[in-house]
Amino acid sequence: MIAALAPALLLAGYVGSEVCRSCHPDVWVHFFRNPHFKSIASGREPPERTGCEGCHGPGAEHVRARGGKENIRAFSLLEPEQTIGACLACHAREISRAAIRRSSHTMADIACTSCHSIHHSPVPQALLARRQTDLCYECHAEVRAQFSLPSKHRVNEGTVKCTDCHNPHGAQAPTWRMGLRPRMIEVAQANEQPCLRCHTDKRGPFAFEHAAVRVDGCEACHAPHGSMNARLLRRPAVFTLCLECHNGAGDFGRQGDGVRLTSGSHNMADPRYHNCTGCHLRIHGSNSSPLFLR
Amino acid sequence: MGFRRWLWILAPAAMMAQPTVTPSPEAGTRRGEDAYGYNFVNSWEIGYRARRLFGEETKYRSDVNFGNGVRLLAARAGVHSRDGRAKYFDQFVLTAQGLGNDPYQSATVRLERNRLYRYELGWRLNEYFNPGLAIGGARQGLDTRRRWQDHELILLPESRLRLLAGFSRNSQEGPALATFNIDGALGDEFPVFADIRRGQNEYRLGGMAEARGWRLTLVRSWENFKEDTRHRRTTPSEGENPADAIRLLGLRRDEPYHGVTRSWRLHLASGERRRYAVNGRLTYSGGERAFVADEVFTGTSRLAAERNRQVVVFGTGRRPVATGNLTLTLMPARRLTLGNHTAFYQVRMEGDAVLGEFDNATRLPAWVYFQALGIRTLVNTTDVHYRPSARVGLYGGYQFSTRRIRSRERLEVEGLEEIVPAEQSSRIHAGLAGLRFKPAGGLTLSLTGELGRADRPTYPISERRYDAFGARADYKAKTLRLSASAASRWNTNSASWSTHSWRGRTYAVDGAWTPSARLTFEAGYAKLHTDTLSGLAYFSAAALVTGERFAYRSNLHSGHAGFWISARNRVDIYLGYHRVQDTGDGRNAAPPPNRSPASGSAQAAFRAAQTFPVAYQSPLGRLSIRIHEKWRWNAGYQWYGYGEESAPFQHYRAHTGYVSLTWSF
Repeated sequence: MIAALAPALLLAGYVGSEVCRSCHPDVWVHFFRNPHFKSIASGREPPERTGCEGCHGPGAEHVRARGGKENIRAFSLLEPEQTIGACLACHAREISRAAIRRSSHTMADIACTSCHSIHHSPVPQALLARRQTDLCYECHAEVRAQFSLPSKHRVNEGTVKCTDCHNPHGAQAPTWRMGLRPRMIEVAQANEQPCLRCHTDKRGPFAFEHAAVRVDGCEACHAPHGSMNARLLRRPAVFTLCLECHNGAGDFGRQGDGVRLTSGSHNMADPRYHNCTGCHLRIHGSNSSPLFLR
Repeated sequence: MGFRRWLWILAPAAMMAQPTVTPSPEAGTRRGEDAYGYNFVNSWEIGYRARRLFGEETKYRSDVNFGNGVRLLAARAGVHSRDGRAKYFDQFVLTAQGLGNDPYQSATVRLERNRLYRYELGWRLNEYFNPGLAIGGARQGLDTRRRWQDHELILLPESRLRLLAGFSRNSQEGPALATFNIDGALGDEFPVFADIRRGQNEYRLGGMAEARGWRLTLVRSWENFKEDTRHRRTTPSEGENPADAIRLLGLRRDEPYHGVTRSWRLHLASGERRRYAVNGRLTYSGGERAFVADEVFTGTSRLAAERNRQVVVFGTGRRPVATGNLTLTLMPARRLTLGNHTAFYQVRMEGDAVLGEFDNATRLPAWVYFQALGIRTLVNTTDVHYRPSARVGLYGGYQFSTRRIRSRERLEVEGLEEIVPAEQSSRIHAGLAGLRFKPAGGLTLSLTGELGRADRPTYPISERRYDAFGARADYKAKTLRLSASAASRWNTNSASWSTHSWRGRTYAVDGAWTPSARLTFEAGYAKLHTDTLSGLAYFSAAALVTGERFAYRSNLHSGHAGFWISARNRVDIYLGYHRVQDTGDGRNAAPPPNRSPASGSAQAAFRAAQTFPVAYQSPLGRLSIRIHEKWRWNAGYQWYGYGEESAPFQHYRAHTGYVSLTWSF
């Protein structure tokens, strides 16, 4: 079969996918469903960018030796950075992969094939090796626990995916908050928090912004994965959440003289004043009330 | 590893970790049937879902929300051309879940003809029910449906010049319960009904060009958003405090807003060259929102006098945002990677609003001036990743970010007016280091540490002096996967008499064992600990109280276990259990005795809110029997139990289950 190939291809060590098919029918039988099959179907790609050898490298030596992993690019033997390099040869120009080399996953040796199964993906999206949540939970056990809490985003139920908010390939630096965290967050188009892509009513622009939303982000008050408390709040009672900032402590706030205290007319011994958002309805921002009353 | 072996390793994995009892997971990859040059693969699961509930229905609807009825529990269909050169399309893939009336529904479609076009659709529906906060006496609730849809079309997807078009829609509709206040802090609150109608449409047009290995992407988008929510109360109400004289006789409040955000997005990428990669992104979006609030209410004041108020507010808010990102990656040697990333963000919120108010108590017009808020943030991060050998990896990083916040605020609090210009700048320096070590095949040990120091954080809960440390061990073999991790985070933020400190610790172990292709066990446990201490200042009976602390403690224990077995590929059984419990600070429902101000608050309400003991558990079982080559019969049962120690009226127990038929080939 090799003898029938063009001499130029053989010289470069390429044999073509048809040759691979004869020994690897289990891979070939479903490969027409694989997104990588497009390069074979087009018939226009150079041998180093198409078919089996596009990823596994020239196969002539592998064929002559009648198999073996040492004479071809076998991903099971590659080091993680070699795997990433092989995939990025074609996939590096997407904005979603701009930070892959400096992502937390790459630093932890989580390479492409840790999550993607190129030949045996059981799910129809992105050649994932498993359902997305199962893949993420495998390492992020604490996140599995958070999504099992009573109040949560519906990830386990299937309407929300981890990648709605996170970019597993590495993310741009977030510009809300100021530390290294949160990491791996898929920022919205204007470097905003991903929460605002769905919760557009909280996005504004408002005439009166609750600056904490813009400055420290939604996470200042909400636990985005899940919470024991209603509305993903970090505290079971809303007044305690508000008073942790609105305590007048110096050196904070936009004036540097503290975040404003509650009014003297608010008698915190009276349960009526424990539900702050009962009156401060538009706590995320208001068009007509600086105190977010409407 | 042979194909069949792969299938059986993957199949149990797909069966596991299913926290909701439907749909029945699929096993393996099907060969499908060939016709007309295409290969057809199908799987349709139709069944009846049942529910029986004891206890608080509103809480159940907030947490779980499954109901009764016939559903298309899952669907998956694929049509692929065998040669990749079909006339009209080469690939059609449909997936769906919960269609029919489940509270959580989704569908995706992909239609593609190689080299000519690619179209993708994603659609989701989420029924969101929220009864409000159990503690604090909230009277706000939501019973809304949120729908999302995203359409993406790429023309000439494999060429050097591509055209992009997209459309996204996001809507939320449904009834809600809100509150309305009369006479401010000395007044009363009244429940009012709202009809929420929010919508957002985004249209995108763009193109992508490649030359000499560089790719340039340019997208122009228009996002239209609007809300036409109405609040109504047509029946008289005594409010939250029937003892006072304040009454609401009627309320009408319309608060429509319409806006548009026009954006440009530009992205330039070099691809991965031999020694470097460059990615840059610029975006500009100009958001603008026109709003009106029209409110009329009639009632009585706290002095029992007739009280009528009409308010009209109208104006415009604008928010131009400019952002930039630049990522430079250098790979001077195979085992060394250097990265630098810069992010820039500038937002300015400005506009104007006019408020006209006629009040038969004050009979005065009022004016509201806009509060301007501007934030400029610059972040720069440098990372080094060095792998001296295949078994050892080291990495480190440093981040500097600076932020300036400017605002101009006109305040009118209880008759006092004030215009306050303000500016606050803050900077943070943070460092990161990590070690990864593979002492033996399949075992990986990792250590990470992070330290950060900020000079002037904006809020008492912001990060000022923080650290984060983590360690994990992972072991992977052919049939066994084990992982254990521990992490701690700590932040303290003190100024004058107030201190806020936060400590979080996480411990988790997780594992799965597949001794044979027909048997899998999985189990895991996680403990999430949170401990905070915050300075308090508040008024109690018009007297300022300071020097107290609010301590909040949460000790969440979460465990899960699952067992899957398949008998001769004919019968599949899955049994699982999940329990999560917040033991709080170990107390029972009764608040602790008075504490000294240094360690807590004298107020019983604060002490009661310092912890929130809750237990939530859910065992489930699933049975799937192959009754024909293409048919399976499935049944499942899942029980949910929820109990709060601080608010017993929130308890519920729910029996949920389903029976279904799956047709697949």
